[in-house]
Amino acid sequence: MQTAITFARTYGILVVTLLLFCLLTLTTDGFLSERNMRNILDQQSGVLIAASFMTMAIIAGNFDISVGAVYVATPLVALLVENATGSIPLALVAGLAAGAVMGGINGFAVTRLKVNSFIATLATSFMFFGAGYLVSDRSIMRPEGEGWRALARTRVFELTTATWIALIVVILAGILLTRTRFGRNVYATGANREAARLAGVNVDRVQMITFVLLAGSAALAGILGSSRAISAQPSDDFSFIFAVLTAVIVGGTSIAGGSGAIWRTVTAVFFLAFLSNGFNLHQIDPIWQRLIEGFVILVAVSIDAASQRRSG
Amino acid sequence: MASDAETLLTLSGVGKSFGGTVALQGIDLAVQTGRVHAFVGENGAGKSTLGKLIVGVHEPSAGAITLDNTPVHFASPAQALERGLVAISQELSLMPQRSVLDNIALGREMTRGPFVDDRATRAHVQALMDRHDMQIALDARVGDLSVVERQKVEILRALGRDARLIVFDEPTARLPSDQVAPLLALVRSLAAAGKAVIYVSHFLDEILEVSDTVTILRNGEHIRTGPTARETRETLVEGVTGRVLGDQYPDIAPPDRAAAPVLSVTGLARRGVFSDVSFDIRPGEVLGLAGLVGSGRSEIARAILGADPAEGDIRLNGALAGASIADRLAGGIAMIPESRRDDGLMMGRPIFENVALPHLRQLSGALGLNRRQERDEVTRACAATEMKYAALDDPAEALSGGNQQKILFARAAMGDPVLLIADEPTRGVDVGAKQSIYNQIATLAASGKAVLLISSEIEEIMGLCHRVLVVSRGRIVGELADTALTENALMTAAFSGT
Ligand SMILES: Nc1ncnc2c1ncn2[C@@H]1O[C@H](COP(=O)(O)OP(=O)(O)OP(=O)(O)O)[C@@H](O)[C@H]1O
Ligand SMILES: [Mg+2]
Repeated sequence: MQTAITFARTYGILVVTLLLFCLLTLTTDGFLSERNMRNILDQQSGVLIAASFMTMAIIAGNFDISVGAVYVATPLVALLVENATGSIPLALVAGLAAGAVMGGINGFAVTRLKVNSFIATLATSFMFFGAGYLVSDRSIMRPEGEGWRALARTRVFELTTATWIALIVVILAGILLTRTRFGRNVYATGANREAARLAGVNVDRVQMITFVLLAGSAALAGILGSSRAISAQPSDDFSFIFAVLTAVIVGGTSIAGGSGAIWRTVTAVFFLAFLSNGFNLHQIDPIWQRLIEGFVILVAVSIDAASQRRSG
Repeated sequence: MASDAETLLTLSGVGKSFGGTVALQGIDLAVQTGRVHAFVGENGAGKSTLGKLIVGVHEPSAGAITLDNTPVHFASPAQALERGLVAISQELSLMPQRSVLDNIALGREMTRGPFVDDRATRAHVQALMDRHDMQIALDARVGDLSVVERQKVEILRALGRDARLIVFDEPTARLPSDQVAPLLALVRSLAAAGKAVIYVSHFLDEILEVSDTVTILRNGEHIRTGPTARETRETLVEGVTGRVLGDQYPDIAPPDRAAAPVLSVTGLARRGVFSDVSFDIRPGEVLGLAGLVGSGRSEIARAILGADPAEGDIRLNGALAGASIADRLAGGIAMIPESRRDDGLMMGRPIFENVALPHLRQLSGALGLNRRQERDEVTRACAATEMKYAALDDPAEALSGGNQQKILFARAAMGDPVLLIADEPTRGVDVGAKQSIYNQIATLAASGKAVLLISSEIEEIMGLCHRVLVVSRGRIVGELADTALTENALMTAAFSGT
């Protein structure tokens, strides 16, 4: 019994995702087609990139709401530079740097000003959304050259560059978290900050780095998104952060910090993607999709809460 | 001793397993009213688990519990509380932000219609305090109280809920030595008032003094239960460890007084906490920092580690120490912090991560962590402390209290420090393992390391230290060594500044 609980806690999300995959394969025409799989991978690339680093930030004990705003604002910065200089590398650097600066602001607010991370990043969300309106002059922006669309859409061995970039980023993030000293320090900071500090971990720096990496990854996701859409638009749209957070939470990374894993988040991204893909293929009303998705999240977090109580 | 004792609770064939770990098996036991029933045994013997089964924190995996001759099954502590069975935990169940009154009355407030009747509640709690002769200011914030007072709040809360059986799990582990006697008196008075008391402790002298009945557990099994009057310290030690222990404290050769100091502290001060602290520790020396709890001992230790900002000079082997904790650790300091739960362990993380945490730099190569080397070194460090664990991947919280403490010792010893600061290193550790920690301290000293030992156990200070500094109100008020180092002199100095 105990071992069954432990097993379900550890691999539940993987089992559920595989079951869903098999179910859809058997029941739904067009699900297992090469084209459909390629599409799912391409569509999820942005969420995969940001969710990996969101997992890291949450393990370190922080929340970051501003990822949605970073996702919206940074491609506008990048396109501004692209329009002005015509240089794609320069535009990329500008977009990623803008993301890093935004992450730095979050990190500063949390580690120096000691503001609760949820509140701090809620506040900076407004700043970053505002910055998006400022740099775009409130209008939709399009790239000057043809090269922009190639960023995410070039096919390499059948898969898009966006997919390849996402795979590489996820693997690197996973290695960083599980195989390095930094990764251990991330877990330690989230598990018991004072104990980590007394053991010589620079907990402020660890948190700062997780914020910068997260915002940088959100910027990368935003830039790839703008390449896929061949445009970018200022908005107050929080939907990206919802997608990212949902994946992390459904994956079972505890929002209390100190535990979780990137493979869980990645699995959850696919679980949610399969779910909505299945709905679409069966042409189920999007309103029902939302209701069911919400239910799934509630189930995931209550399982997490129950397991916390057991072990506590 | 109350003669009108009757059996309140019976356990028959009770067992408990966690996953693959068998914590208890085949326990038969009767607990009687008006008696203090002690549980003794090694770390991990199952004492806390047994207490938790009785108060509904865990459910038994085998066997039956009967209360008032009827079988009971508790699915939660609330259900056990309903029947008058409670445990005094250390501070977990109190609300530190709320007043003493709120904490004691919680869930039992007097009401008038839908409203809480403050006046009646206050009178009720005051009457409770009077009845049991325990007075605490009703409006004090619980977070500001001392450990003893917090324990009293917990006890009063239990009594206010008509407790019939109270479990004390190592209540004196966190108490300063001068406050142990009043607590023991309180425990006796509870028994005299007809309560059944279960008392878990590693201090065998306390057990001999306070209990009527003693149960010895070993490896989850019941060894024997009998009247305390028939036991002596020696029989208990033998029952607990299964062997006869020799002298508890090892001989530690005196340090070379001419050698250059490992640590040299001059004019260390932190506003409002301590001031004018200056001392040296030489290679091979065990220096004690004694004093009452709250005198500033632990704060001085933390400042030496760099955990709190402080003025003054700290030199390690002659060179000024860097400011950050990481610098000081790299310079060869290792510390066992005072509170393992708050400052020491990551409870939910695996044992090996807990041990390796400060040593990751040495364990990393160009390709990241060298996980095989990490495992090897951690395994060796844990073995040296006689830690009992099922797997290094288990979370720290799966270990018994004393074994959790050994994680901290293993962590500190693994880096081969030049200076070990040990703040209550044997808190909650059983007699046998205490001896092995003392031996490790002796080994460190013999190999030329310096040790700064903080302990509330006077015996421990007397048994291990070459020299003792007595701290009172943030100042060093005395230095005792050799023949001047007596228990009397220590206590006099400790109280001198107050
Ligand atoms: N929540 C848990 N999960 C897994 N194993 C546990 C858990 N709690 C206790 N154990 C195991 O049960 C055994 C008994 O533990 P228990 O805490 O009862 O020991 P103890 O006698 O109180 O020791 P100590 O003197 O160190 O406090 C140990 O082997 C411990 O590792
Ligand atoms: Mg215990």
